Amino acid sequence: MIFRRSLTQLGGRVMAMARDVGGVFVLTMEVLRALIPPRLDGRETVRNLYKMGNRSVPIVVLTALFVGGLMVIQFAAFVKQFGARALVGWGTGYAVFREVGPILIGLMFSGRVGANNTAELATMTVTEQVDGLQALAIDPIRYLVVPRVVAMMIMLVALTVIGDAVALIGTMIMSYVVLDIHPYTVWYSLVDNLGPSDFLHGISKSLVFGAAIALSSCYFGLTVRGGAVGVGRAVNAAVVGAAVSICFLDFLMTYLTA
Amino acid sequence: MIELRGVHKAFAGRPVLVDLDLRCDRGEVLFIIGTSGVGKSVTIKHLVGLLRVDAGEIWLDGRRIDALPERAFHAIRRRVAMVFQGATLFDSMTLAENVALPLRKHGRMRAAAALADARRRLDEVGLADFVDRYPAELSDGMRKRGAIARALTLDPEVVLFDEPTTGLDPINARRVDRLIRELADRRGVTAIVVSHDLASIFAIADRIAFLYQGGVRACGTPAEIRGSDDPVVQQFIQGRASGPMETPGF
Repeated sequence: MIFRRSLTQLGGRVMAMARDVGGVFVLTMEVLRALIPPRLDGRETVRNLYKMGNRSVPIVVLTALFVGGLMVIQFAAFVKQFGARALVGWGTGYAVFREVGPILIGLMFSGRVGANNTAELATMTVTEQVDGLQALAIDPIRYLVVPRVVAMMIMLVALTVIGDAVALIGTMIMSYVVLDIHPYTVWYSLVDNLGPSDFLHGISKSLVFGAAIALSSCYFGLTVRGGAVGVGRAVNAAVVGAAVSICFLDFLMTYLTA
Repeated sequence: MIELRGVHKAFAGRPVLVDLDLRCDRGEVLFIIGTSGVGKSVTIKHLVGLLRVDAGEIWLDGRRIDALPERAFHAIRRRVAMVFQGATLFDSMTLAENVALPLRKHGRMRAAAALADARRRLDEVGLADFVDRYPAELSDGMRKRGAIARALTLDPEVVLFDEPTTGLDPINARRVDRLIRELADRRGVTAIVVSHDLASIFAIADRIAFLYQGGVRACGTPAEIRGSDDPVVQQFIQGRASGPMETPGF
């Protein structure tokens, strides 16, 4: 009896997950269709760019600064042991550009901007504002979803560029403080050993993560059920969905380009 | 002009509309009345494609519309506007921006011209002093009137009102009634109004359709409904707690 009930619950969860994955896929197709030809609502896009990007800069700068410094603290002992002072810039730059920058800022962006977006759309859905939009013959995909997807993709890339730069500043500061390595040494280690492809690898990940966060947050926001409790559940599901998507897509992109 | 034929609709297996037949002629004010949960709002949401019928047909000006794809409903929604019970003004926009939105999107007006037109339209419903306020800063009555102004921006032929006077004080409720009546009388707009408000119903309706157990139990002029010998209809319009009417949940 217990086995049967567990199996039923498991089946239910698998079905729910399949429905959500399918729903996000359908939404992706609708967004692509709405972008051909590309007709964006300028006001809504600018509003979202400002809200999602500008207000995220302080938290990204703060986090990236600490992470850049932390990386130096973590491997300072090994640098001293092996005398690998000339590799500090390369090591941190490689990690920041290709993995730490896009992943860390992507997860932060998901928690701050994605969650906020889900809450806003979910509230609009439960208060019938989305129905109201449809009743005005305005397509919610074109008006609400497309500007958000475009804004999140652009802003996550911009924030990643800023975060990468600030993380490297954090690295230079802590390299000087902990290892007495001059910032120029870190800089030349970086530019001598890394190419544009390392930087662009991370940027392409940010672009994809931005789309994943946007689609996940919009999907759960627009499919919410059950009032205020439902809004909370939708936000939770969107953040979890975006985090899982970021990790999965990161693995996939790293594996395919290795 | 609008006709529902044998419409069925169920949610999670629970039937709400069962073989519903209803007709509304051009330029008339038709009230759909009935107890809570009987399917009044569900009925009008079908007319703009926000809900789709499980079975039956919906006709608009001789054209069957119930099976149209979502994109085809955009043209219908420009002719058939809807004012929701909760007004549904967008929280992130001022009142003027809310009203300007359909003008920008459909009227192909530039933002400044759309805002100027929106201000003029809000002035017509007595909201000239509140155009730059956000919905959260307005009273229920103001939000309702703002929603009506927004619904009228595309000069629709039909306006669906979902409980337009619910939650309003008697003065604001009568103002909304007057607005609906004037729409029909001066502009020839057809109005389908879902309501419980007996004062509104008998003051401005041309015809009344009484929904009960998924179908139309009685339909006629206010005088005919008042004079109905159906005990269920009489219990409703007299607001009696006890009687033959079966109300779910009680």
